[in-house]
Amino acid sequence: MKRNFLHLALFFLTFFSTFAQDDTYLVASISPELKENANAVARLRQRDINITSRKSMTILTKDVVTVLNQKGLSNVGASEYFDKSTKIKSIEAVILNAFGKEIKKIKRKDFLENSLSQGSIITDGKILYMDYTPTEYPFTVVFQSEVESSNTAFIPTWNAIQSSYEGVEKATLNISSLPELNFKYKDFNIDGNQNIVKETKLNGVSYTAINLVSIKDEEYSPSYRNYIPHVLFGLENFNLEGVEGTASSWKDFGSWVYASLLAGTDEVPWETQAKIKALVGTEKDPIKIARIVYQYVQNKTRYISIQLGIGGWKPMLAKDVDRLGYGDCKALTNYTRALLNVVGVPSYYTIIYGDRQKRDLREDFVSMQGNHVILALPVDGKMYWLECTSQTNPFGFQGDFTDNRLALIVTSEGGEIVRTHEYIAKENTQMANGNFSIDENGSISGSIFIKSKGTQYDNKFSNGSKSADDLNKFYKSYFSHINNLKLKKINVVNNKEEVEFSEEVLLEATEYAKKSGERLIFALNAYNPVRGIPQRYRTRMNPFEISRGFYDYDEITIDLPKGFIIEAKPDNFEIKDKFGDYKAEYVVLNENQLLYKRTFQTNSGYFDKNEYENFRKFREQVAKSDNSKIVLVKN
Amino acid sequence: MKKIIVLFVGLFSVSSFAQNFELGKVSIDELKEKIHLADSSASAAVLYKTGKNYFELNSEGYFILVSEIEQRVKIYKKEGYEYATVEVPYYTGGKLVRLYFDKAVTYNLVGDKIEKTKLKSDGEFTEKVNENYSIKKIALPNVKEGSVIEYKYTLKTPYYMAFPDFNFQTSIPVNKVQLTVEIPQYFTYRRFLKGYAPINMEAETVVKNRVNNYNDSRIVFKGEEIKALKEESHVNNIDNYTSILQYELAATNFPNSVVENFSTDWESVAKTIYDDKNFGNELNYKSYFEKDLDPLLKSTLKREDRINLIFNYVKSRMNWNEKNSYYCNVGVKKAYNEKVGNVAEINLMLTAMLRYANIKANPVLVSTQANGIAYYPNRTAYNYVICAIEQENGEYILLDATSKNSLPDILPLRNLNWVGRMIRENKTSKEIDLMPKMISRELINVMAQIDAEGKITGKARDQYFDYNACAFRDYYLKMSRDSYLEMIEKRYNGVEIGEYTTNNDKDLEKPMIETYDFTHTNMVERIGGKIYFSPMLYFAKVENPFKQEKREFPVDFPFPYQDKYTFSITIPDGYEIESLPKALSVVMEENLGSFKFNISSVGKTIQVMATIDVNSSHFSPNYYPTLKDFYKAMIEKQNEKVVLKKV
Repeated sequence: MKRNFLHLALFFLTFFSTFAQDDTYLVASISPELKENANAVARLRQRDINITSRKSMTILTKDVVTVLNQKGLSNVGASEYFDKSTKIKSIEAVILNAFGKEIKKIKRKDFLENSLSQGSIITDGKILYMDYTPTEYPFTVVFQSEVESSNTAFIPTWNAIQSSYEGVEKATLNISSLPELNFKYKDFNIDGNQNIVKETKLNGVSYTAINLVSIKDEEYSPSYRNYIPHVLFGLENFNLEGVEGTASSWKDFGSWVYASLLAGTDEVPWETQAKIKALVGTEKDPIKIARIVYQYVQNKTRYISIQLGIGGWKPMLAKDVDRLGYGDCKALTNYTRALLNVVGVPSYYTIIYGDRQKRDLREDFVSMQGNHVILALPVDGKMYWLECTSQTNPFGFQGDFTDNRLALIVTSEGGEIVRTHEYIAKENTQMANGNFSIDENGSISGSIFIKSKGTQYDNKFSNGSKSADDLNKFYKSYFSHINNLKLKKINVVNNKEEVEFSEEVLLEATEYAKKSGERLIFALNAYNPVRGIPQRYRTRMNPFEISRGFYDYDEITIDLPKGFIIEAKPDNFEIKDKFGDYKAEYVVLNENQLLYKRTFQTNSGYFDKNEYENFRKFREQVAKSDNSKIVLVKN
Repeated sequence: MKKIIVLFVGLFSVSSFAQNFELGKVSIDELKEKIHLADSSASAAVLYKTGKNYFELNSEGYFILVSEIEQRVKIYKKEGYEYATVEVPYYTGGKLVRLYFDKAVTYNLVGDKIEKTKLKSDGEFTEKVNENYSIKKIALPNVKEGSVIEYKYTLKTPYYMAFPDFNFQTSIPVNKVQLTVEIPQYFTYRRFLKGYAPINMEAETVVKNRVNNYNDSRIVFKGEEIKALKEESHVNNIDNYTSILQYELAATNFPNSVVENFSTDWESVAKTIYDDKNFGNELNYKSYFEKDLDPLLKSTLKREDRINLIFNYVKSRMNWNEKNSYYCNVGVKKAYNEKVGNVAEINLMLTAMLRYANIKANPVLVSTQANGIAYYPNRTAYNYVICAIEQENGEYILLDATSKNSLPDILPLRNLNWVGRMIRENKTSKEIDLMPKMISRELINVMAQIDAEGKITGKARDQYFDYNACAFRDYYLKMSRDSYLEMIEKRYNGVEIGEYTTNNDKDLEKPMIETYDFTHTNMVERIGGKIYFSPMLYFAKVENPFKQEKREFPVDFPFPYQDKYTFSITIPDGYEIESLPKALSVVMEENLGSFKFNISSVGKTIQVMATIDVNSSHFSPNYYPTLKDFYKAMIEKQNEKVVLKKV
């Protein structure tokens, strides 16, 4: 009870003090714990969203950010996106010095405009941003804007903390909508947070967060969505670029996508129909047919992201892709779907988040989500996943861009949430077999044969199309722990059928073994040492995640120089931990020959921050063992 | 020379049998080609590129510069698809500039027939990037491995001062390239060709203009089999070595008006710039700072003190908006009041104040590293301005007040790009060497103990001088302490840093100093009862940065430097030294650099002194083997082990 009371008292104290300062924003009044690990402090981030019709959403923003140092400049934001359906009605900023005195006013005409198109991305989206050179630190920016959009399909997510290295004094969100639009919301990581107060209303909600300390970017951090308080919003009845949509269940939402965005886009010119039918011939196996079609698409098209107008959400017509030979993820996926349809193989347009960091579609919150589209191919109760933007991926290979996450498949019957393929550690293998010999001067020469699968295939298969020059550079850096390296032969084979990448490398280098008087010293693991150890943190703040496991096995025969004997060699070493298993064995075959066997498995998992130091120690031991050396002495 | 040209023409006529260098005349052979003959690694190649620059008169009788580029590109591999999306930026911030594509076609071989797919309007995009420029972009249709694409674009601009550069070389091989330039008799341009590719220039001829009643001087440049440009490490700016032709307007001599001279040499480039109101005039204003500066100057009399006072005053008052230019934008007065300015505003203001205090100070035009080396006289060669003080003895002190951490003669690294040009008040000018001549030192002192378990604990003190200090203050001081230490721990894998302090963060005259405690549990190897370790501990360099056998371009280092290490390492009780690495001294030819390593022991303490000197910041490719071998010898020595055995 007493505890609670204290919290309440604290709350009021901070509440009153922020209230009192509202106009002044003295830097001196920022509490020290908010400045810890912070480059900026958000004094106030206030967002008011008002949905006045299915076709009108107004967002009022007031951001007051104190920038403590140069790095904190990126926390200011002070910019707004606009396009044909999103208008900036007002935008302005005032700069205050450390004492809260105004030093500059920045009016709309002083904001600069920039196009968001670049390279192969073509969009009509633009940004209006503040261009301000600070004359002193710290300083405070008071930014205010009003933006109106006719799209109500995307209501921006509210993050109580907008970016890392930023303390938050106060952040508020206030949203209200019309009853007939069926407003909904879902919050994450907010329950139980003493610093965030939620207030529900009819057709709306508001949140107030007070005194949130800054978060850091740390290695192995999971997606911030796992631990940052945030809220998703949506309407059951929304408008997307003039098209009315509904999102009451994933099934209905899928039906809407199918009927409004996909229907009528899949017409294929008859010449192409004839061509694809001829290619398929009498083949009946749906997988073999799909392979033919996928290969046809890979050879015919290339990826260009054209996100103009409704094209930003609706795929380009299949017949246009057919004529132009390019398109974005939606266009190429839909084109593949249309071609498969021609030869009687059903497939589903699938909406997903494409990112190496896994991100699910929120199953329990129906709304416009995802940033990428792939194709699902159902055969005999199993789902095959086709990445149609790639001209090089093997058929059905997902890699780490879309693996193991919830996605929405869209069928004529409606939508359905499905999980994509999960790569378990034993699928992501690197199996190596090789030998090397050391001569009496310490030079190494040897060969290694490596086969990689799963995500390890994904990391390497682009080497299959590299030039000899680029391969040489790649292996020089891959074996960068061997100085004076000369690559005698490099042979790589990308077996797309088996989804297996093979590498054969013949190499030599002088001074691999270090001389020390009469002795030669060298690391026995010449080909596959773990080098990096996870970053040490004085205080780890975030939980951590190993998103994918893998399994490496090496078997290397080592020839020792004549006239030397082994003075000392490392002992066999083994560790088993929740993070993985590691084993190194050194077998003396005869007086001049050793066999080195190494097994290293890393397990995927989500761990508490308290475990981080153990994980680091585990990896440190592996690195240490990989670096352990043998000592030879002249006979 | 003549012979070579004749031979060249001969070659041209032979190869023209096989290929037709005209848009639309793609051959089946070109479509059938699977790999580039000279460079099998090429993902695409320019089969030919033809440029034509000429002038025409618009309806009002003003000259318009026309630049037409035609290209035929072969796509060999999927990685080459990027060359089927073409973007051309153009200026839209003033008078009307037009840019348009036409004749964009993709050719494919279908069976033994050529299939032609034309670009339609849905494959063409115009983007307004900002107030000043737009981009025209085309995405060619129906592109596959083996396709040949063609396109032409035309730029029509009234800005004949800004003659478009012509690239003979690019990231893919160029089989054949030709540029024709026709310039009306009223204009004089100077031209400059840089890069390593062999480009032949035919003799200039005078021809009658096809439309108007004046003569053109015509010149043709040709090149063949131009190698793809490939990136290498330690290159300041690859544009410095790319084959590019640039034109600079030297004079106009229109009928019924006087000859107007622009920049034909560095002197007149400098004068043209000085005469611009956004440069020379800005140096004359002083009323805006007098009242602030007078009270400060009164108390100091010595010349050196006046220089430092003014330099520090400008550095602390002014904030650079990260915009480069030798012209003022808002002007020195407004910049002074708002405390924000571009390079010109800050450094011209500095120059004006120094002159006000009776110091002989002048602006120096500079081309930053990102802008490339100013090879030949033109206004666009420069993009930056600093300040030089002329000394009694004829030497100069260089100042740049845009960085808070710079000092006299310690300029932000972006300036270190060969030579600049100083302009005096009487508008004469002089070349100024910008490259640092002093050796920037770093002194590292380490005291460490090794225990019987192989754990190393110690104290290190690292002192940074000159450019090292400036770079440290610029990059690391603005990081949070934790992030910086985490970065160091990452760099020296396995080291853990305890107590850490820095000294002289703001005291720029003094060396920047870091002092810290460390432990390292992974440095020492214990094998078979013996202990092995590198006597330079975690400072031993392990990787040779120069891995490739051959080098195309020079190697650039930021500045000449000296790193001097001293180690004092105490060995654990119960052990004695079995062997120490031998001393070594390696000197690069022409004293370009050296590495000296000395080691000795007294009782339980090992003393190490190691000095690395790199006396030049620029090594031509001829010296690459020397440099590579130098690093090899140095790294080998640094990794030799001390061996300890049980007593």
